[in-house]
Amino acid sequence: MAVPDRPGDDSWKIVGRSIPRREDAWLLTGQGCYIDDVPEPSNTLHLGFVLSSEAHARIVLIDAEEALALPGVIDVLTGEDIARLTRPIHTGFLLEGHRDTTRDAVAREKVRFVGEAVAVVVAENPYVAEDGVERVLVTYDPLPAAVALESAAGDDAPLVHEELGTNVVLESTFATEGLDEAFADATRIIKETFRTGRIAGVPMEPRGCLATTGRAGEELTMWTATQIPNIVKTALAKLLGHPESGIRVITPDVGGGFGTKAHFYPEELVCPALALKYGRPVKWIQDRREELLTNIHAREHIYTVEVGIDGDGAIVAMRCNMMANAGAYSSYPFGATLESVGGVRFILGPYHIRNYGYETRAVASHTCPAGAYRGTAQPTAMLAIEGMMDRIAREIGIDPAEARRRNLIKPEQLPYTTAVGTHYRTGSYSESLERALEMIGYEEFRTSQPPDRLVDGKYRGIGICCYTENSGMGVAAVRARGWSVLPGFDGALVRVASDGKVKAFISHAACGQGYHTSFAQIVADQLAVPFEDVSIVVGDTGLTPEGTNTFASRGTVTGGGAAVRACLVVAEKMKRIAAHVLEVSADDIVIENGVAMVQGVPDMRMTVREIAEVAYSLTSHVMPEGDDYGLEATDHYDAGMPTISNAVHVATVAIEPADGTVEVERYVVVHDCGRVINPMIVDGQIHGGAVQALGEVLMEELVYDDAGQLQNATLLEYSLPTALDVPMIDIEHIQSITDENPGGFKGLGEGGVIGGVPALTNAIADALAGIGANVNTNPLKPSRIAELIDAALESR
Amino acid sequence: MSKVEVRLTVNGAEYVRSVEPRYLLVDFLRRELGLTGTHIGCEQGVCGACTVLLDGQTARSCLHFAVQVSGSEITTIEGVSAEASLSPIQDAFHRNHALQCGYCTPGFVLTTVELLRQNPSPDETEIRRGLTNNVCRCTGYVNIIKAVAEAARSMPTGEG
Ligand code: FES
Ligand code: FES
Repeated sequence: MAVPDRPGDDSWKIVGRSIPRREDAWLLTGQGCYIDDVPEPSNTLHLGFVLSSEAHARIVLIDAEEALALPGVIDVLTGEDIARLTRPIHTGFLLEGHRDTTRDAVAREKVRFVGEAVAVVVAENPYVAEDGVERVLVTYDPLPAAVALESAAGDDAPLVHEELGTNVVLESTFATEGLDEAFADATRIIKETFRTGRIAGVPMEPRGCLATTGRAGEELTMWTATQIPNIVKTALAKLLGHPESGIRVITPDVGGGFGTKAHFYPEELVCPALALKYGRPVKWIQDRREELLTNIHAREHIYTVEVGIDGDGAIVAMRCNMMANAGAYSSYPFGATLESVGGVRFILGPYHIRNYGYETRAVASHTCPAGAYRGTAQPTAMLAIEGMMDRIAREIGIDPAEARRRNLIKPEQLPYTTAVGTHYRTGSYSESLERALEMIGYEEFRTSQPPDRLVDGKYRGIGICCYTENSGMGVAAVRARGWSVLPGFDGALVRVASDGKVKAFISHAACGQGYHTSFAQIVADQLAVPFEDVSIVVGDTGLTPEGTNTFASRGTVTGGGAAVRACLVVAEKMKRIAAHVLEVSADDIVIENGVAMVQGVPDMRMTVREIAEVAYSLTSHVMPEGDDYGLEATDHYDAGMPTISNAVHVATVAIEPADGTVEVERYVVVHDCGRVINPMIVDGQIHGGAVQALGEVLMEELVYDDAGQLQNATLLEYSLPTALDVPMIDIEHIQSITDENPGGFKGLGEGGVIGGVPALTNAIADALAGIGANVNTNPLKPSRIAELIDAALESR
Repeated sequence: MSKVEVRLTVNGAEYVRSVEPRYLLVDFLRRELGLTGTHIGCEQGVCGACTVLLDGQTARSCLHFAVQVSGSEITTIEGVSAEASLSPIQDAFHRNHALQCGYCTPGFVLTTVELLRQNPSPDETEIRRGLTNNVCRCTGYVNIIKAVAEAARSMPTGEG
């Protein structure tokens, strides 16, 4: 890039450009270093966990004799043994109505879901660890299990945690004043219940960790495939009773997270505890069966929504009753609140709904714990509200797009505060809807759609989703949700080395988002240095400042915000140094593309490298009065309450009447995440999310039988979308810049799935509306669609 | 457990190691040879993360015992391009943002090598069919399909 001659020429800026990613260089050539690739010392011990085969049972006997007799098996430990080395996992929640549960890293006395660890085998290599696991004989005394959501909430359900006296682990209610009166004024009332099936993130890389100790146990280093290294570090200090200053948590390259890796898991406690016990490195790598049985599940929800509308179809009042299956234990750090509280608060979406009330419950069951999966409750909450929009349209005989128009928050209503108190600063709700409809040719589609929706022998339908996405939660937001073990802020340390090259250390952890590229774009622009001169460090608590890490679309807002602020401090110092050397006022200095120059006198210039040499005392120049040596700054940025992105997805589908198979024919997205840093990366996030939505709607479901056995804990039986299933996706961006954070950014990591689930579901519902089928239960596997078609045709 | 000798030519170099008969090819590549670019996603032959070329054809290294394929020639992701450079396929993946976390990527690249060797100018449906045995959870496949099409256009016929 050429150095601009004229100050004010910002063609060198690269935020907003589709720069191909830096990380590709190592990931494409096999040089990536994922958790199982981290070099393991030759004396490493390998763990294998013995998993409960029962959903609910008393542990009668653990017989490890045969396992211990195997050459290469060093030890077999039970829950009692592990409990002597660790404290139970407990989130210590601060939310009213939340009944926190504690979890032993390895079960003692009782097991509460199939897959819960009951013993751990320590061996010289992973093959022997597996042999050992097979030879540990556990005798259980089985107890009745509470599995499905509604039955687990029942009065006579077997209790998951007896001491609570109930399986309802969270209850929360809310209502705006005058809600009943508002309902009484409604012209009509529409009510529907939506059910969604249990699924999981299923990243292609399962989890794993490697813990090593040094300096006689004083120093503990843990590599772990996580999105939340700082949260893991603080948890380890507390649960191991080890000084936090002696713990370093490193995330290597991580093969996908999607929220599932934003939890602290028992194995992450057992590995370091045993590394400290034996004084040897301890490693554990999860296999796919364990991944499906024990990594956080999500989305087993029931929403009953009631809307009161006026004669035009505008919502005048709304009630939502929600239940979420929380599984056997509170997840760490989110407790059981993530989905149940999120769902009823996110459901308002981009709509103007003044009168609103909710009742929500999280219900414990003898199943895998539930928690964060991309979008958390937003995909199901939007499914419910968007399902209601379609029902409003049907009820009063208007087009579904028109029902949305009549309810969207209008541009002149911004900034807007929702009935539950969420602030929407900027957004493009109507504009993005109109543009998306135009892109897909909505009017033409509707005009040519026959009443029975049959075109060329297939039921064809179109579905819309207008949504908002919560992103970038700061301190106030995590406190409001009761998350006591999440700090809420994030940090960035930006350091210019003596050669003028820049390294930014940011308290996030990458699992595919492209941070090495997009954060570098931010820093390069802020410091006005070439992109090539900037490198990024994430995922290492030994190097980055403290922070809250990567989940809930926080990365660009909180990490980017901290980076911008730290860069401002560094840039000011660079200007002061340049001004001092060039003997002008700092106000007269501008920096562009790695060069500081005097405004109006472009020949008076210094490169960033020359400035850095002054800062590190490598020249005869002295520092300006009052400035310390060095050229770096650390910032801890608190983004406060969430920043709200928005988008519209519209999809068309064709359903084969004979077998209920669905083909997604067209898919368009109009997306607004404020200032776009790298459009190509943003589009990739949308593609990935939308296709996860396709899986969620059409094929994915974790099926438990009544006894609590997971029926499909393999990728053969848990289907994921393949290249044959997916549509091409057309995306346009609108950029409603916000002043809520230093970069004007809004988060976007989850939007694809949030918009995709309702758009695809509504497209199917629309295709089947002609024959009178009511679609209110996901997933919509071919067999289920075929049943819906048969039933609808029969009842005609 | 007694060990057996396994002799493999991997990315052009010959290796001889003694391993247990039950040792999987993927573990042989990763643990014995340190070629960690071949990944494990399921160990059941479903995901394709462990795809390598075995005597020129794609194979799932999680489904073979190393001893079963002794004497064969293997290409892993580390052998697809010379040090610090990208092959036309890798470059197309890079330019089209066809990878996010990268975990599935080595498998997709090797599958594409075979796909384009068998069919140098595939249409979109042929590309999709050719990729169905590999699972990616991040990209939604959209950019992978574009990358494969672009690689096909940019490659002289027959180049791997
Ligand atoms: S690991 Fe071999 S196919 Fe999945
Ligand atoms: S890039 Fe992550 S699984 Fe494909």
